[in-house]
Amino acid sequence: MRTSLKKTNRKTIIAVLVIGVALIALLIATTRSSTQYFLTVSELQSGEADMTGRNVRMSGVVLGDTIVYDPQTLDLTFEVAQIPGDHQVIKEMGGMAVVLEKAAADPTLPRITIYYNGVKPDLLKHEAQAIVSGSLDANGVFQAKELLLKCPSKYESALPTQAGK
Amino acid sequence: MFQLGLISFAASMLAMLIALVLTISQLFKRQVKLTKSIVTLANISFGLHTLSLLTLMAMQVLQDYSNAYVVSVINSVMPTVLKMTAVWGGQAGSLFFWSWMLNLVLFISLHVRRQIQDGWSFLFTAVNLLFFGALSLFAENPFSRVWLLESEEILEGVFSPAAGATVYGGISGFGLNPLLRHWGMVIHPPILYLGFALFLVPFSIAASYLIRGESGEGLLGETRLWLLSAWVLLTVGIVLGSWWSYDVLGWGGYWAWDPVETASLIPWLTSTGLLHSLLLQKQRKIFKRFNFVLILLTYIMVVFSILITRAGLLNSVHAFGESRISLPLTLMTLSLFVVCVALLAWRWRLLYSGWELTSLVTRDAAFLYTNVILISLTIVCFYGLAYPLITGVFTGNQIGLDRTFFDQAATPLFILLAALMAVCPLSAWTVNSVKQLGKAALIPLALSVILEGVYYFFLTKSWLALSVLFVVTFGLLLMLTLTLRDSKSPRAAAKRWWGHRARHGAWFVHAGVLLIALGIVGMEALEGSIQGTMIPGDKMPLRSYQVEFIQLTTEYENPEYMTIEAELVLWKDGKVVDKLYPGQHLYENRGQYVSIPDKQSTLRGDFYTLLLDYSSMMGYVTIQASDNPLVNYMWIGALLMVMGAILAATMPWKSLQLDYVDQGDQELPR
Repeated sequence: MRTSLKKTNRKTIIAVLVIGVALIALLIATTRSSTQYFLTVSELQSGEADMTGRNVRMSGVVLGDTIVYDPQTLDLTFEVAQIPGDHQVIKEMGGMAVVLEKAAADPTLPRITIYYNGVKPDLLKHEAQAIVSGSLDANGVFQAKELLLKCPSKYESALPTQAGK
Repeated sequence: MFQLGLISFAASMLAMLIALVLTISQLFKRQVKLTKSIVTLANISFGLHTLSLLTLMAMQVLQDYSNAYVVSVINSVMPTVLKMTAVWGGQAGSLFFWSWMLNLVLFISLHVRRQIQDGWSFLFTAVNLLFFGALSLFAENPFSRVWLLESEEILEGVFSPAAGATVYGGISGFGLNPLLRHWGMVIHPPILYLGFALFLVPFSIAASYLIRGESGEGLLGETRLWLLSAWVLLTVGIVLGSWWSYDVLGWGGYWAWDPVETASLIPWLTSTGLLHSLLLQKQRKIFKRFNFVLILLTYIMVVFSILITRAGLLNSVHAFGESRISLPLTLMTLSLFVVCVALLAWRWRLLYSGWELTSLVTRDAAFLYTNVILISLTIVCFYGLAYPLITGVFTGNQIGLDRTFFDQAATPLFILLAALMAVCPLSAWTVNSVKQLGKAALIPLALSVILEGVYYFFLTKSWLALSVLFVVTFGLLLMLTLTLRDSKSPRAAAKRWWGHRARHGAWFVHAGVLLIALGIVGMEALEGSIQGTMIPGDKMPLRSYQVEFIQLTTEYENPEYMTIEAELVLWKDGKVVDKLYPGQHLYENRGQYVSIPDKQSTLRGDFYTLLLDYSSMMGYVTIQASDNPLVNYMWIGALLMVMGAILAATMPWKSLQLDYVDQGDQELPR
């Protein structure tokens, strides 16, 4: 009994090891194919040659006037303007809502055209924060595979917290 | 109101702090039992905390706009129920609500028939409670007020920010985010929170066992019901979230590997593993170390999940944005981790229990495989979440993993898991019984092979979908066969069934998971959709269906939004089967609209319609229609999982032993 148990355990250890190695291989393989670079609009444009075709996740503020949507074909294009990627910087500038409002009104900031095929999200509107995943094509248009939108509550920005606290 | 809420909250935390100090002084005197005064203080703390919560609710219902939180989530026209439940509709409120949940759980644990808290476990529970209470009190206070400065500037703060500032109640509220106004979203957070919170008690008790240097035989018996209830609520919470995103978000998605979804799945995975391996300890007296690790890890992952949700480290639809509580939460997660590792290392030898398996095909081995897969899934989820954070620290710029990572890494593991669940009823504690049971599998196996052919010719050619369908069919048929095998005398069968309800409960849970897998196949492989623009009278075909557009209606009945609805008639095989009204709610004040899909739900699946665009002037609409076969088995499966777990929970821990003794040899009919 004792020895057969030990034998079973040896087999178990081998099995678990094999599974462990398989898991690591799976992780490495999928990491490679799904690596995504988190960039801002200006970072993406400055390294344009480099980044074309790469899997990128980018965030920017939606410019309402530029939204063009054809519900027949579900072709959606719009422009986003640069917003900083660093939470710390955003906080110093007065919070996300302030950053979005300023960035949408500032024509000097770098902008990029986004193309997306799919149902126009409810939250896609002026001054919303768009988070897009996809890649830059040869024409400098960002081909988005995924589109996520966030609208910070205006009231939160209307109520700055106590200074120095 | 402000005074009542804030003071009762602060006093509640103070009472808990005193209780904690008392406990520590008792522990110094080597008094492990909780004294009466500690319990009384904890009761007082819970009472005051509840009072404070009710005050916040009252402020919301009475629209006290001098409160900054009320301003951010309430407006005058919201229904009263939503005004109350808006407690968990925003950052400050939901954090406060979470701390109350922890207090509730502590209160329950002190007052159930078999009180299971001792000094050490109380120490751990109270420290966690106080930590979250302090976050709420000092960093994200829901009682924070709106102040008007002499310079006409408006600021938010608990106390007056400057001389001459006055409390200002003149801003009318903005109202709850329309996307959250769905009853699924109203009950999803409290259920999920309660599930999360319940894990704190087993965690604290396990920690207490380690400190006291007890070998931990009694631990699982004491905490099994806690773990099961936590698991049930967590399951319901996760499924409700998924159902909400299917029902409300409009694109018909049910799971997106959003960081917050993934984070809430981790404690579910570890606790599911725990529910399996605790049976191994019960039955075979093995894997005790593993169980301790899982109990501790599950709660740490709960805190990690809160960190991911609240701290806004990752972009997510759920996160409330970057916040100042991310640093304390990170530190808390890390210190819990360090403390647990230290405790385990200290008592590692004591926890030795052996881990000899009878063979590689018996039930103990099957449990081991299950747990290896569950742990692998945990690693995949954790790695996927932590990857961008870690690369961010080391390289400065963030590199993350997209959704395909989770899809590719988790799918094979989930399929393996489903396969294990399908063959699980064949596993027994001895090799002999396994052989015997194997014969019972022949008929279901033959049937599933035949059905597989049917699927291939009529449903799908995707090998991935086909393999899942095979596993699901076989698993369900097998469970059905084994359950019905001895139905000659229904009374005896029912008695036997009730006597083995823990096992049958587990089968229900497995059948539920297999049904969910069926729903996923329906959504991923069998779904079909079409969109088109129509004028009244137009018809749009999809498979055997036709959608006819009748008219566009506009309504102003709700004070907050305008309702635009397309009236559609659904035809199937030339007959009218239903009327559908997909629409949009247009919140003009917010400049936002919310799509309200409409669907015909049957057991076959959903016919799902969405109003994409319209023109009231021209009278046309653009409709997206999808045929989502089998999707409702996801919700049915979830229901079955919950029922199964509850059924298993009615089996007392002591009688569990009998239930599992050599079931293959003696109890299964030949």
